[in-house]
Amino acid sequence: MSIAVRTDGLTKRYGRSTAVAGVQLEIESGEIFGLVGPNGAGKTTTLRMLATLLPPTAGDAEIGGHSVRRDPDGVRTVIGYMPDTFGVYDDMRVWEYLDFFGRCYGMTAARRRQMIGDLLELVDLADKKGEYVQDLSRGMQQRLCLAHALVHDPQVLLLDEPASGLDPRARVELRELLRELRALGKTILISSHILPELEELCTSVAIIDHGRLLASGRVEDIADRFRVGGVYRANVLGSDEKVGHAEQIFAGLKDVVSVVRRPGGLLELALRGDENTAATVLSGAIRGGVKLSSFAPAASDLEELFLQITNTPEVHA
Amino acid sequence: MTALAAGLAQRGGRIGGRVGHALGRFWSGISAVSIKELRGRMRGRRAFVVLTIYLLLLGLFAFAIYVYLKQQAATTLINNGFGNGFPPPDFGGFPGTGQTLGNGTALSAGIGHGIFGGLLILETLLVLVLAPAFTTGAISLEREKQTLDLLVTTPLSTLGIVIGKLFSALVYVFLLIIASIPLASLVFVFGAVGPDDLVRAYLFLFALAFGMGALGLFVSALVRRTQTATVLTFVLVLVLSIGTAAAHQFWQVAARSTSSSSGLLLTSRSGRAPEALLWLNPFVADLDMVCATAPDTYHLSCEYVSGVTGRPYFGSPTNTQTFPGVLKGAPVPSVPFRGGGGVIVNDSGAGVAPETAPPVPVAGVDCAPNVRCAMPPETGANQALSFGFPRDTFWPKSATAFLVLGVVLTLLASQLVSPTRRLRISRPKFRRPQPPKTIEPDEPVAVENAS
Repeated sequence: MSIAVRTDGLTKRYGRSTAVAGVQLEIESGEIFGLVGPNGAGKTTTLRMLATLLPPTAGDAEIGGHSVRRDPDGVRTVIGYMPDTFGVYDDMRVWEYLDFFGRCYGMTAARRRQMIGDLLELVDLADKKGEYVQDLSRGMQQRLCLAHALVHDPQVLLLDEPASGLDPRARVELRELLRELRALGKTILISSHILPELEELCTSVAIIDHGRLLASGRVEDIADRFRVGGVYRANVLGSDEKVGHAEQIFAGLKDVVSVVRRPGGLLELALRGDENTAATVLSGAIRGGVKLSSFAPAASDLEELFLQITNTPEVHA
Repeated sequence: MTALAAGLAQRGGRIGGRVGHALGRFWSGISAVSIKELRGRMRGRRAFVVLTIYLLLLGLFAFAIYVYLKQQAATTLINNGFGNGFPPPDFGGFPGTGQTLGNGTALSAGIGHGIFGGLLILETLLVLVLAPAFTTGAISLEREKQTLDLLVTTPLSTLGIVIGKLFSALVYVFLLIIASIPLASLVFVFGAVGPDDLVRAYLFLFALAFGMGALGLFVSALVRRTQTATVLTFVLVLVLSIGTAAAHQFWQVAARSTSSSSGLLLTSRSGRAPEALLWLNPFVADLDMVCATAPDTYHLSCEYVSGVTGRPYFGSPTNTQTFPGVLKGAPVPSVPFRGGGGVIVNDSGAGVAPETAPPVPVAGVDCAPNVRCAMPPETGANQALSFGFPRDTFWPKSATAFLVLGVVLTLLASQLVSPTRRLRISRPKFRRPQPPKTIEPDEPVAVENAS
């Protein structure tokens, strides 16, 4: 497996504030890589640097062997970029939109015609060919924007929040589309703050917060690294004070990585170790006087992992 | 040896390929962007409705000038009667203080001159408004609608993008300008304006459109929001068209008050405001061209341009020092035909340039202002006399200034489109101190992203 994207200490500062701080990533070709983090974590800045839209303050990145700093034009030929908030040109028909980008990549008329037909078929917009871009629905525009990123058949796709603002059905369609693209051998880098949309899709993830890379690698590897035995949900009986009290007691126990409070007296605990530690934690809480109506493992998924990792510094602070 | 040659050839080929590649990206930028823009701009009826309204406006304006001048001529003729020995008083060609003889030829020339001047100034005004209006959103709108990122991530060169934007906006402005040529050709019916005058006028309008379009484009690339860009662009246009004239006037008055002796206004070379201040004022260039078509030798436009350039428009070198204070009493050669920049041809048929004309005595000092003085006897039929305004003294500089402005602003705009698309002159971070004997060839200045 060759490396499609590699970043080396990629850093972006705006004056004093640091948007991205020394991100190290390696993405193998053929992967669907999820870049996950809360809003303002630096996902978009990272992607924009990879897409040669922002010059990095320090560090470098290589895509398909081209350096973002030294050979941005080379990078531009191997990437397809879809920004988080993308605009559409007014007064343009769907086929003209793709034709325009085809011209931008210097394609001949015959190749453009072929490409437009293929891409509209791929993103399921073939019957909208003659419509104005601004008349399409949000989901269709999103697919058209994805098609635009595929005009020159790039090896690497950089998709910034591709599923934001989509209804569940459109999201499923997008997921199918991305799977198809992966089957075509493309490397896909997706950013999102909504995890479920990446969960089934990604082969690897990187979790980023405050511009720092907290974890990256295969989903299973990350789980191992943080030695998370599982996420448990505890239902606390009683008033808000009681719940707050219970939260403190849980946070003070050994092997509890993080505690997240949910409405309705629900606490989510990330625990190290196996079921035995869970039993120890449970008995410790009961000894502390916490009244529980239930204590059960939650499905350990990406979102739990994400919350756990991004919450960790706060809990321990 | 052969290996070296092969290496060089390979290197040369690579450089050639790189240049060709850059040119390709440049060219596809221009073509892709301008085709896209023109598709949007020319779609539907809007473009053609604008064209129609524009031509109707120009036609109406020309007709109004025609009616006005005819009426004015009629009233002056009635007031003065015919052939009473006096030359008729001043009557308006454009813009008002020209004079004609009381015969049909001169009246007609006055109308031709008036329509030419009126159309020229109106078209200048329209170009001044429309050219920047079409470009002032070119980049900032793409930023606002977040489509610029899509463009910047393509391998197009930013200069190509910017020129494509400018070209597509200018194509439409040029269309408007060209569409007015048949209308402007109406002046040939009346006289006073030759085809060369019209060619001059249109050359200037094209240069103006280019300069102003580039101004809008530059501001659009400079400023984040279209609204701000629009306001800033038109403030700059106002500064160029009104601000420079006001500043020039102020300077001129200040310079004159310090350099004048006694009550006589002297305009020496040292007492003039710099002409370059007005190079980017399109209306002064207009006046230069209007003056050149004035059917008589005295015209307000000529007086103004003469005050700017410091060139007298009577051929006499003795008049050089007395302009413009003494002007009103200066002798006016009564030659009715296309006076503009013309030279009376003497019997031998040789034209005499203004500079070589023999001195003409100044009647000015003896003349009361606003009274027409008799021609001095020396200025007989055989006396070669150059008169009128020397042609092409100002507008070519103005047109050149607009072209240069356009080129500079276009290049600057291409640098402002994206932070990753700037010319970078890479400096070696650390230069090892060299022993003094070895002569190191100059470090080649690597220019990345040149196009």
